[in-house]
Amino acid sequence: MSIKKLSKDVFKSFVDALIASDQQVIGVKEKVQAKGNRFAFDNLQSADQLRLDYDITLLPPKKYMLPQDETLLTFKVAGESKSKIDNSKLILIGVHPYDMIAINQMDELFSQDQQDNHYMTRRKNITIIACDVATPSKNVFASSMGTATVESGFDILLTDIGDAYVAQAGTDKGEKLLAKASGAVNASDDDLAKRKAIQDKNKDALNKHKLNCKPSDLPGLLEKAYDHPVWEEKAKTCYSCGSCNTTCPTCYCFDVQDQVNWDLKTGQRERSWDGCLLENFANVAGDHNFRKPREARFRHRLYRKGKYVPTKIGGQIACVGCGRCINGCIPDIANPVAVYNRILEDIKPD
Amino acid sequence: MSKPRVAIFDFACCEGCQLQIVNLEEEILDLISVVDVVEWREAMSEQSEEYDIAIIEGSITRPEDEERIKDIRSKAKVLIAIGACATMGGLNKLKNNFQDLEEVKKCVYKDSASMPHLETSMTKAVDEVVPVDFKVHGCPIEKEDFARIIRSLLLGKTPEVPNYPVCVECKKKENVCRWEYGEICLGPIIRAGCGAKCPSASYRCFGCRGYVDNPNVDAAVDVMDKYGLTVDQLKSKMVLFGSKQGPTL
Amino acid sequence: MCDCCSSEKDIYLPELATITKAEMMNQTEMFMHLEFDSGKELGHQAGQFVEVSIAGIGEAPISVSSSPQQKGFEMVIRNVGRLTNAIHGLKAGDKLGIRGPYGSGYPVDELKGKDLVFICGGIGLVPQRSLINYVVSNKDEYGKIVILQGTKEYEQRIYTEDLKKWDDIDGVTVLETIDVAHDSWKGNVGVVTTLIPKIEVDLTAAMNLVCGPPIMYKFVLMALQEKKVSHDNIFVNLERRMKCGVGKCGHCQMNDQYVCQTGPVYRYSELASVPEAI
Ligand SMILES: Cc1cc2nc3c(=O)[nH]c(=O)nc-3n(C[C@H](O)[C@H](O)[C@H](O)COP(=O)(O)OP(=O)(O)OC[C@H]3O[C@@H](n4cnc5c(N)ncnc54)[C@H](O)[C@@H]3O)c2cc1C
Ligand code: SF4
Ligand code: SF4
Ligand code: SF4
Ligand code: SF4
Ligand code: SF4
Ligand code: FES
Repeated sequence: MSIKKLSKDVFKSFVDALIASDQQVIGVKEKVQAKGNRFAFDNLQSADQLRLDYDITLLPPKKYMLPQDETLLTFKVAGESKSKIDNSKLILIGVHPYDMIAINQMDELFSQDQQDNHYMTRRKNITIIACDVATPSKNVFASSMGTATVESGFDILLTDIGDAYVAQAGTDKGEKLLAKASGAVNASDDDLAKRKAIQDKNKDALNKHKLNCKPSDLPGLLEKAYDHPVWEEKAKTCYSCGSCNTTCPTCYCFDVQDQVNWDLKTGQRERSWDGCLLENFANVAGDHNFRKPREARFRHRLYRKGKYVPTKIGGQIACVGCGRCINGCIPDIANPVAVYNRILEDIKPD
Repeated sequence: MSKPRVAIFDFACCEGCQLQIVNLEEEILDLISVVDVVEWREAMSEQSEEYDIAIIEGSITRPEDEERIKDIRSKAKVLIAIGACATMGGLNKLKNNFQDLEEVKKCVYKDSASMPHLETSMTKAVDEVVPVDFKVHGCPIEKEDFARIIRSLLLGKTPEVPNYPVCVECKKKENVCRWEYGEICLGPIIRAGCGAKCPSASYRCFGCRGYVDNPNVDAAVDVMDKYGLTVDQLKSKMVLFGSKQGPTL
Repeated sequence: MCDCCSSEKDIYLPELATITKAEMMNQTEMFMHLEFDSGKELGHQAGQFVEVSIAGIGEAPISVSSSPQQKGFEMVIRNVGRLTNAIHGLKAGDKLGIRGPYGSGYPVDELKGKDLVFICGGIGLVPQRSLINYVVSNKDEYGKIVILQGTKEYEQRIYTEDLKKWDDIDGVTVLETIDVAHDSWKGNVGVVTTLIPKIEVDLTAAMNLVCGPPIMYKFVLMALQEKKVSHDNIFVNLERRMKCGVGKCGHCQMNDQYVCQTGPVYRYSELASVPEAI
């Protein structure tokens, strides 16, 4: 597949042309509400709004495949239900490598065993233009997790080499799209060398927290850490606010509830984000809570990331080192690296 | 099946919650297509002695209010408390922080303080006087939340009331956290359901929906240190809606 | 990805089934028999469950209580919340949404040739009943069958006719107990573990199948431990919160196990590395 070079002007007209087409185009924009530079994926009205130099978005792009709230079914009360599948097409510009890897993991999780068509239909209708990180965020640790760069999943991967972008097609869909960029030229060896330098640098530089073991050591480490004091040490100031779940690109737990319309005859079955840190996540009738202590819920998340979910996705660690849980945790206890390193003080991995 | 008869009553409050019901606008028509509103001082002149559902706004602040609410309870099959005043005493509970209520009266009403209609006692939430079946939280209530709860009840289903904090809805809306601006946002210990209304408007949550069932108040104290704030600063934020409800610091 | 999974089937879409029979078994438990409107059979294995829903109210996991070999399927529903309360208002002719069957069920073949001891608490009998019915109707293939049923209060007893019917079968023994003494009750009083010493079969050689409320497991497992029963010979049937039933929503998870997929039936020895299980 081809690797091209798009000067900044060529890239801008390329994006503006996409916006002018009938497809919905989403890109990383500065968050209006924020005083400082904070970013979010949002509808693009013009290429000028696109900020590929962003550090991190407040929420990961999962909100486009698995929206915060979505209708799964519409129904007649006490009667028949119909699937509601969202078929809208969109182009997502600016997905960072760690977020791309998280999407790849979610694709696997939602398609394995019994496929979730609500997720998968959205996913298939999304064209992803990923981009290498230009500005490391304050808590990113993707280098520690091996997720600072990405090999697959994207349709196009962009790298900012200064005066231009190198654009690599990753799929046929990406190849066709890239062909529409008029003024793009084939990338030269020199361009590719520049790109490699940036990617090599990111492999070390996206590391504001350094994990003191290989990611692949985590399942074995956690095997021996179930009763480690770290869970209580950290969780005693946990609010059970779930921010470490809601902002995480690899959290995908959900709740389902029925809502009825005013006619009391029709309604919708709705799915919305849930989180294992929330107090009632494992409640059943009789007010029995299978994960009642805060530390048990706190531990569950870090086991999900480091040990449980990996068994479902071929051993990949389900934390991609984006650092959002660290950014969002008011008492500052959610940092996976801090937790895993604390365990490493006492326990050696196999 | 005949439509359930609904009566709306107000006690000590600002009537802002009833205004939220009025604000339902077109949905008001939907509402009255499924219920008969038989008494509602804010919107109609009729009064009724017969109703299935009593909706109560406001807190109980005078001895005669206690008699009135007991009477309403005895007639209603279902009693719903709406708004912070009714569900937890609300702002009216601020006065409970003072030892001497006569002093409060003098401070508020000056020379008129001894007039009989200003007789006052400790503020009570409705459920401190009579059993409450359902609560619609908030100051004021959220109209969508109210509408959802009413529809659920009309369907015979216990409404879902979140027991997770405002942060969940706030993060889902992709707001920038107020703590990053050095503000004391009570979101992590306050019950969600408002859609994180205040942080979404760049304002901290001041706790109008009351605590979640099991707020980690100790964590709140620890966190003060981290942000270079004092526990007194936290307390001053919590007193607005937190007076003598649940765990007070 | 094979064709069958890329088809447009929506895993969250329930299929309507009609209640053909519904009756109260006591004050809190309702028995019902259902048939799919499409005429298809559920095709479940003993121990599996379905996701049951009323559109507008909600959805919940409910065990299938009937043997896989009969027409239609049966459930017993305890009134504890939104959906179950609404179901209690239904009658024959009304409809429910059904997804499934889900979960792993009992390893019926592995149980062949063995003595079987069912230890049930309250409505723990419900999911076990599907297996009991299956094994009593294929009695030749199994050894002795013992059914222990413990109920909190006299009024809460369920499947009393079934218990009597099973007890009359040659090679099947039913022992019943209630926690709280009652004037009309002449039998054993005490928790279900008080029945264990009364069993005549060799527990260590038998397959012991346990199902009941969360609190019951600890005590029953302790009692079996005392009798030196190997953990390989114990099966437990666990309850968890479930939303999807298909391994996605995360609610049913205990450590690395998704109860909706690998459970609700587990061999106890498999749970050694699952501290959240019991
Ligand atoms: C595999 C399996 C098999 C089962 N088989 C049967 C069976 O055969 N028969 C049977 O009667 N039951 C069975 N159950 C249990 C049944 O699924 C539950 O009782 C059912 O989910 C209750 O649903 P509901 O809508 O009526 O209750 P809900 O209204 O959902 O609530 C019931 C209780 O659940 C808790 N709860 C629910 N949602 C929340 C929340 N958001 N926050 C806090 N707490 C909450 C509360 O404690 C509440 O009192 C089974 C469960 C499993 C997992
Ligand atoms: S656990 Fe934290 S750092 Fe890891 S992927 Fe999730 S939000 Fe990012
Ligand atoms: S179990 Fe917890 S950590 Fe895992 S996906 Fe669900 S919410 Fe996230
Ligand atoms: S973000 Fe922090 S405080 Fe909130 S649930 Fe997660 S660990 Fe606990
Ligand atoms: S602004 Fe308030 S509600 Fe929102 S995440 Fe921060 S603390 Fe929570
Ligand atoms: S954000 Fe807080 S104060 Fe504002 S409406 Fe919600 S609960 Fe009330
Ligand atoms: S019930 Fe959803 S994962 Fe098991």
